[in-house]
This record gives sequence, C-alpha cells and structure tokens, in this order.
Amino acid sequence: MDEPVRETAGAYVFHSRPRCALSQGQERRVFWTLAAGAFGIALGFSALGYWLVLPFAGLEVGLLAWAFDALRAREGNYETLTIEGDAVVLEWRKEDGCGRRELNRRWVRIESDCSAPGRHCRISVCSHGCGTEVGQYLNDEARLQLAATLRSRLQV
Amino acid sequence: MSDVAHAHGHDEHGHHAHPTGLMRWLTTTNHKDIGTLYLIFALVMLFAAGSMALLIRAELFKPGLQLLHPDFFNQLTTMHGLIMIFGVIMPAFSGFANWQVPLMLGAPDMAFPRMNNWAFWLLPVAGILLMGSFLLPGGAVAGGWTMYPPLYIQGGISYDLTILAVHIMGLSSIMGSINIITTILNMRAPGMTLMKMPLFCWTWLITAYLLIATMPVLAGAVTMLLTDRNFGTHFFNAAGGGDPVMFQHIFWFFAHPEVYILILPAFGIVSQVIPTFARKPLFGYASMVYATASIAILSFIVWAHHMFTVGMPAAAQLFFMFSTMLIAVPTGVKVFNWVATMWRGSMTFETPMLFAIAFVCLFTIGGFSGLVLAIAPVDIQLHDTYYVVAHFHYVLVSGALFSIFAGIYYWLPKWTGHMYDETLGKWHFWLSVIGMNIVFFPMHFLGLAGMPRRIPDYALQFTEFNQIATVGAFIFGFSQLIFLAVVLKTVKGGAKATSKVWEGAEGLEWTVPSPAPYHTFETAPVVK
Repeated sequence: MDEPVRETAGAYVFHSRPRCALSQGQERRVFWTLAAGAFGIALGFSALGYWLVLPFAGLEVGLLAWAFDALRAREGNYETLTIEGDAVVLEWRKEDGCGRRELNRRWVRIESDCSAPGRHCRISVCSHGCGTEVGQYLNDEARLQLAATLRSRLQV
Repeated sequence: MSDVAHAHGHDEHGHHAHPTGLMRWLTTTNHKDIGTLYLIFALVMLFAAGSMALLIRAELFKPGLQLLHPDFFNQLTTMHGLIMIFGVIMPAFSGFANWQVPLMLGAPDMAFPRMNNWAFWLLPVAGILLMGSFLLPGGAVAGGWTMYPPLYIQGGISYDLTILAVHIMGLSSIMGSINIITTILNMRAPGMTLMKMPLFCWTWLITAYLLIATMPVLAGAVTMLLTDRNFGTHFFNAAGGGDPVMFQHIFWFFAHPEVYILILPAFGIVSQVIPTFARKPLFGYASMVYATASIAILSFIVWAHHMFTVGMPAAAQLFFMFSTMLIAVPTGVKVFNWVATMWRGSMTFETPMLFAIAFVCLFTIGGFSGLVLAIAPVDIQLHDTYYVVAHFHYVLVSGALFSIFAGIYYWLPKWTGHMYDETLGKWHFWLSVIGMNIVFFPMHFLGLAGMPRRIPDYALQFTEFNQIATVGAFIFGFSQLIFLAVVLKTVKGGAKATSKVWEGAEGLEWTVPSPAPYHTFETAPVVK
C-alpha cells in the first residue's frame, strides 16, 4: 500500500499518493450495486406510470459514476519531491504516464494561484519558465501549507 | 486525498495565511470545519423548530383557540416536522460523519472535499427558503410534512418553495452520501478492514446506501407534485384521473427508509459511547453490523404500514404487518448487544453514558409502541392520533436527539480541546429526560382515548394530559438552553482535554491530540 520514503540526512522528501483502499473490481461492484438499486426502484415506479423518478435516478447515478471514475483515475498515481543539497527532484506518475524533473534549488520558485482554500488551489514548482504541479492529492488547506513549507525549505 | 510522508530535517510546518472570518467558513474544504458548520446549522435549526413546538404546545394548553390562528397552527406543525427532520437530525448526523469518519478511519479528509463544501452550503439555502416561506402571502406550508395531495396541489406559492427546498436538501444529501461511501470504502488506513471499522462508520455507510436508493424517489414524487400544481399533469390529482393514494405509496417508500436514515447513525454513536463507559468491547460486533444491514433491507418492504387506513387488501395488510414486526428482530439484537456490553462492565455514568442509557431504555419504548402500531387492526384505531405522535417522538427525540447529545458530550473535548462542565451536563440530561417523558408519555393516553393529531382545538376530556404535556414541553425546551451554555462554555475554555479523553475509549480518533489538529493522518496510520 504505502510506498517507502527514503531518507538521507538533511534531505526533505515529500511523497504523496491518493488513498485507495478499494481495488478496481471492488469499486465496480460497489458502483453497480448502488446504480442497480437506484435504477431498479426508479424503473419500478416508471412501469407504474410515475416516470419522473427515473431522471433523478439517472442524475444521481451520473454523479456516482463521476465520483467513482475520479477515484479510479487516481489509482497508482504518486508524486515525490526531494530537496537534497542543491538538487530538487520531482518524480510522478499520473494517468498520462510517468515523469521526472531535476532542478537546481537556487532557480526554483513555488507558485500558487490562490490564497484561500475551496477554490481549487494549485501549486507549482517552477524553474526556467516551466512549472510542475505538486500536491495534487492533498486538500486545498494542506496544499497551501505545502507551498509555505516548500518556500521556507527553498530559501538559501 | 493522499497518503503523505515527510522526512524533515527541522521545523516542517511553514506558516500560511488561513482565510479568516466569513471567507474561512464559506470556502473551507476541511472536514472538521464542515462538520462544525453542519453542527452549528443543526443547533440553530433545533432552536427554531423547537420554538415552533413550544408555540404548538402553548396553544394546546387549554381547549379552544388561545394564541394561534388554526391555519398558522397547521403551518407550525408542518414546518416543525420538516425542519426537525431535514434541518436538525440529518445535518447533525452529517456533522458527526464529517468530523468523525475521517478521524476514525485514519483518512486525512473526505474523498471529495469540494463536493463536501457544496453539500453543506446548499443546506442554509434550503433552510432560508423554508423559513422565509412564513413571510409569503398565505404563509408557510400547512399540509403536513408528509406533503400529501390534494393539499399540496392546492396550496399557495410557499408550496412551490418548499418543493424547491426539498430538492436542494435532497441534492445535498446525495452529495454527502457519495462522499461518505467513497471515503469509507476507499480511504481507510492500511489494515483498517471493513470488519475492523468502528460501528459508527458502518451505520453511516449503510445510511448512505439508503439515501442513495431513496432520494430519487422523493425528488420524483415532489417533482410530480410540482408538475401537477403548475403544468397541468394529473399524477396525483384525482380531479384529472390521478391517484392521490399513489403519492402516499411513493412518499412512504422514501420516508420509511428515511426513518432509518434518522436512526441508524444514532445506533452508531451509542455503539461507540457504551463500550467506552462500560470499559468493555462492544458485545457482538459482527451481529451489530448484520443487524444494521438487515434493518436497512427490511426498511424497503414495510412502507404501507403508514397507510393501513387507505384501504388495501387483507393480504397486503398482513404482509406489511408481519414485515414490520420482523424489524423488531434485528433491533432486538442491537438492544440485547448494548445491554450485554454493559453487563458486568466497569461502568461510570458521565453525561454521554447517561444519554446513551436513556437512549437504550426510551428508544425501546418507542420501538414497542411501533410494534403496537404495526398491528393493522390496532393501527386502524390509532391512525392519526396522538399515540402515533408519542411513538415517533420516543423514536426521534429519545432516540435520534438523545444520541446526538450523547455524541456531542462524548466528542466535544476532542473537538474543542476542553472538557465540558459535567455538572451542567448532568442538569441538562436530567431535565431533558424528565421533561421529554412528561411531554410525550401522556400522549400515548391521549391517542388511546382518540385525540387526533394536527388540531389546534380538542374536546374537554383531553385537557389534563395536554396540560401535563405542555408543562413538560417547556421544561424540555428550556433545558436545551443549558446545552447551549455547556457548548459555548466548552468552546470558550475549560479544563484541558487529553488525547484519550475517556479512559475506556478505543479508536484512531483518540490517538490524535485534543483539540484534533486542523490536518490529521496526512501520514496514514497502520491499523493492526
């Protein structure tokens, strides 16, 4: 489940991945159980002529599908940021593949696009005109806290 | 959300500016903040709907009309029911779920924090629509919380607003349920298998399943009312060939599981409190889980016991009578297990335990009167009498509300970092339990004697029991000010609470400091 965090003296390692206690198969079973229940009841009432239950069941199952899809998309993802000496190393795996970026600590800056939680805050590690988003699996508050921590860590 | 691990050379917590004031609460995605918002909302609504109850009881102190116009009386009974169910009990349990589920599972937050924020902030909108309808021409809805046609087809603009409010609250519930299901199933800490989860999480998981299954039914039913009112359809309009009784079937198909939505989380809270103060593990954990699931499943096949008097075949009456009685079996398993947990335990009687014990005793009375009402020939006599009012208040006040009090006293030190005032807590308990019984116990006799519910006036022979009930209502109502004082005092200060507030408490939430830090379990704990 948890990937180990390798520590070396004086290094700062941030490792994050989405929490996934359910396997894909289990997720599918849960989703279809919920969807079958909601649709079964709605179809029963529709058969009796009270069809307006059906669109609401559809909307609800749509929301459920979005939620489970979002969970599934995160499985296997991770991101690691290591600050050691002058090196800042970013490693990640997302839905679209893996990546690695090695930066010079002195040129790195942290950018965040909002100051308050609840507004889909994003924080990026930027260098040489190119930014890499970090803290994607955190909530907004923790993301802002990470930004502050990284800024203090990167001060030379 | 994520498992996060940090290796630190020195102080790792950078300081960033948390938004303060209104913006903090409007934009928060933190489960603890949102839990607090739910609980504050429920408390405000408790006093609003409680004040309505006191007005109702004041009017009923004597026969004849005293204080209120009969139509306003009907508005009060309707709004009292709607607000207590959708504005107090459900939001309070959602507040507990938001605070406790991630802490109990070792998760850093809910699975969808932004959806969590939306789920909460829809509620005040619905609350304003409901309460604001008192100011509209014709006043608020007066057709009963059950929304039966033809009254709900014939009423004024406030009926449309109420339907909109119900839709909004339903959407909020669905978003909350999806969040709870995904959080419980997907965000458990390593080692936290389903059968190791605290029972509170289990009861909320099953409650969320019930909500997902039934909310579209409610949404469809009220939308059909809306189209009957405004777009010329005749789903329930008898004048156009519709079937008003079918609305009752559809409504109760939603509303009977809703009863369990209101009580299953209460079972969960009590199942956390009793083992702590009995200093013994919960007796029959697995049977508690299966009993909860059985109650949930059975709740879908008993709806027509609310409508025995509409006229249905004897075979249907027998089916619904026996299926309703069947629910007593898993409920009995639960009561037996709570008593067995206390049996030979090293019990102490702090305020949460007192409320939990009162829950077990008084909820059982409510359960028994439910069994009486399940008997079709008896129900035909007692339908729409005060016996029914007594029954559901024993279930929802001494059941749901007392469990909420138990939970608040139990977890308040963890939330605030301060111990509550035990003396005031005990005053609150004793006045509540005495007041509650004085209000609702005489209602059994009133119902057996034939006093109908939802009337502002009554025959002379019902006077004494009504006067006793009114006195009890004011004792019970004003004793809630003590509760408010206890909560405010605890938030403001008091003796420092330790991490493990209660000697017999078990679970991950007691491993974090009190008050629980803003961020918890960013590094996943391992459960053995």
